[in-house]
Amino acid sequence: MTTTMAHTAPTSGHTPKVGIIRHLNVFTAFALGTITAIVVWRLTLSLLPADSETAPLFTREDKITLLSMIGWFVGFMTGIGALVAPFRWVMGKDLSHDENMFLAGKDMGVKRYFRYTTDHKVVGIQYLVITMVIFGMGGILAMLIRANLGTPEGGWIHPQAYNSIVGTHGIIMIVGTIIMVTGPFGNYIMPIMIGARDMAFPRLNALSFWLIVAAAIPLVWGQFIGGISTGWSAYNPLAGQAPLGMNGYIMFICIFALSTMVAGANITTTVVRMRARGMTWNRTPIFIYGVVASVALALPAFPVFFLSQVMSGMDRALGTSFYDTARGGSGWLYENLFWIMGHPEVYVILIPAVAALMEMAPVFTRRPLFSFNVAVMGIAGICGLSVLVWAHHMYMSGWAPLLNAPFMLTTELISIPTGMLFLVLIGTLWRGRLWVTVPALSIFALLWNFMIGGVTGIYLSDVPADAFLHGSMYVTAHFHYTLMGAGLTGAIASLVYWFPKMTGRMLDKKLSWISFWLVQVGFNVAFIGMFFVGLQGQPRRVEAYAAIFNKGNLVTSIGAATIMTGMLILLAAVIGSWRSGVKAPMNPWQAKSLEWTVPNPVPLENFETLPVVTEDVYGYGRKS
Amino acid sequence: MQDTNPDYFTGQWWKRKDVKTHAVLWVILTAFIGYVGTEVQVRALGAPASATMANVIHLMRVFTWAAAPVAGFAAAISLEALLHDRHYGDNPPPEADHAIRNSPRAIALWIVISALLCLFALVVGLIALQKDDARLLDANAIHVNVVGQQWVWDFDYPGGSGVRSQVLHLPVNQPVVFHVTSKDVKHSFWLVQLGVKIDANPGVFTETAVTPNKIGTFDVRCAELCGLLHAYMQNKVIVESKEDYEKWLASQPDTGKTTWTEAGATA
Repeated sequence: MTTTMAHTAPTSGHTPKVGIIRHLNVFTAFALGTITAIVVWRLTLSLLPADSETAPLFTREDKITLLSMIGWFVGFMTGIGALVAPFRWVMGKDLSHDENMFLAGKDMGVKRYFRYTTDHKVVGIQYLVITMVIFGMGGILAMLIRANLGTPEGGWIHPQAYNSIVGTHGIIMIVGTIIMVTGPFGNYIMPIMIGARDMAFPRLNALSFWLIVAAAIPLVWGQFIGGISTGWSAYNPLAGQAPLGMNGYIMFICIFALSTMVAGANITTTVVRMRARGMTWNRTPIFIYGVVASVALALPAFPVFFLSQVMSGMDRALGTSFYDTARGGSGWLYENLFWIMGHPEVYVILIPAVAALMEMAPVFTRRPLFSFNVAVMGIAGICGLSVLVWAHHMYMSGWAPLLNAPFMLTTELISIPTGMLFLVLIGTLWRGRLWVTVPALSIFALLWNFMIGGVTGIYLSDVPADAFLHGSMYVTAHFHYTLMGAGLTGAIASLVYWFPKMTGRMLDKKLSWISFWLVQVGFNVAFIGMFFVGLQGQPRRVEAYAAIFNKGNLVTSIGAATIMTGMLILLAAVIGSWRSGVKAPMNPWQAKSLEWTVPNPVPLENFETLPVVTEDVYGYGRKS
Repeated sequence: MQDTNPDYFTGQWWKRKDVKTHAVLWVILTAFIGYVGTEVQVRALGAPASATMANVIHLMRVFTWAAAPVAGFAAAISLEALLHDRHYGDNPPPEADHAIRNSPRAIALWIVISALLCLFALVVGLIALQKDDARLLDANAIHVNVVGQQWVWDFDYPGGSGVRSQVLHLPVNQPVVFHVTSKDVKHSFWLVQLGVKIDANPGVFTETAVTPNKIGTFDVRCAELCGLLHAYMQNKVIVESKEDYEKWLASQPDTGKTTWTEAGATA
């Protein structure tokens, strides 16, 4: 780090106005991260004392792994240039105007996508690409799971590797779905939609993205040193006895939690402080509410996740016993911390996706959104209740049987605000003129999938029924219906809807149609099959199963293959259209929100003169 | 945001043609969703082997039928919207012939109904939960200790005979309370066809209770990922007549490993 410090002095470099940051990009970041990790690894290897009877046993390798990963993290963030501006500030200086413009990506070149660029549009595209990469990796892992479940005996994947695949699929898909709407569209579209020139804290915006890249490497690294054989929930004490790869999970979560907190603070501030003149809360589009609700909900949730993993890491590396019952800890403590994050987190995923479809519903029915106030109440109600329901994941844990009834109450109460979101959507569909497009059909797909996901949630919220269903494939199918059937459907609709603004080109119509139908049909086939085996009694996360589950698993595998085909076609459509699609007009959907009033490609500072808002964006329909 | 536009419900709204279409669709779809939803799920659940499991099946039926009208309503409106007035092409259709933004009556009705359904689900759930909890206190129950470890279940029987088995034997129509614990990581003790489940936590005992009411062989599985061979952590439950059970118990040797002590199951 000392070298960086020397170079950040404003006098160094050939171009006096743009110093060290001109030379920092993703390659220097990877290089410095790798070098630091290797240096820390060698140092700890030679300096750390061996495990002994007096020191806690079996912690040395965990210490070495965790410290090397921290080394990677610090090296990477230094190499990408995240520390330049804070360091200047500590020295009592600041970035020059030229440097700020350079960071904002004034040159508009391709290279700005590979460095610490602060422009929200660049960050939005970066998020879009990394979301697609994550879904690609998670999808491959899902197909490996289905391949291994092709026969009841399990088969060609070693159980340890299988458990690791299940865990990795789980955690990266959770992360992918968390960022899939608020990342690309919350960063690219949201500031334009509220009439702002950028986010409130542009540097934090760049930070939130590069933290995700920094986080990804420990997770990949973990795959090579034993994997994450605990499922994505990483329950202790299982996580305590898991191989070194577990440290990769711990680091991944800690860094990702930082990213979420940074992004949450940034987006919340931007929306509260930077809306265009005249954009009262009543005139703020519902999508903005969805994005803010999502990140604001993550703000209290993710520090708890961070904490739970820090304690997990300390149990492994320092010999503490937060979660070790034999030495006075409690596995239930971990479960509580995990689900205090885990339940708000599902709404972090779901709310922006539903809100995005609410935003599109008036556009594609050419009539006003039905009851904006109920939509806001629904989102607010879900946010409020979702922090009070976490122990419904623990009905059967034996932690506090007496609390099952109150948690059943709060959980079932969530059906009321969720019902409000349904009311808004079907109220908007009623007596509209349907413009048949992929986003329009996605509204119907969402209603269908979310209804199944919601109703199955009622059975699961009921303690006696959960005594049968908990821990079975039924739960797996249920949350895929909510997070994928509802969430991902909303995200793909958002992609089709905002693709013209983000890339300047229309997304290929034919391919996106084919993809839509393959994904939706495949999805329902796959997860109806999974509900069925769950009811028959197949537990989750098994690599072998009894012969009675044959048929259901076969159905699920066929459905999964169909989804994969559909997603690959969508990928082809995105790549093809991005490179050589039909040029998009400024406002292809003839929508009324502000992002459609800026030209393609969107200028560096979005608006030449900041807009003034006098009415909301839902003024469709003939007033009689 | 003064609302000068007409409400959905004005004049003799129930006589409007679109309202009638929706009503018919609603009834048909509700019946369809309720019937298919219950039949498919109940068939998958299979025959119950205890009153607890029969109650689970009953709850699935009740909740499905309670949710069917709501799902049917959303489906009716969606279906009508999908079939009624479609436009294709690159340009949007003309704007809708109304600009309705609100309907206080519809909203109030929707919220009241969803609150009532929520209350209904809660009451039904609490009654069932109370029954399940009462089983734990049954004075006639026999007590069996369950010890999970990677990756087998051990069952310790009462009576001070030191019997331990890995296939669970239970007498029919006899209330049983299970005291469940683990030697290493978390497991989840699941008697599938009997409809009960409780986690096995290291260092503590958790309780669950059931009265099997059917002679036969059923499954016990682990429902919480517990490491390498989690998928294989399963065995059989043999529910047999009281005489057969006593005979079996007497024929078993004292393994000397039982967790059962003279003070009781969980001492």
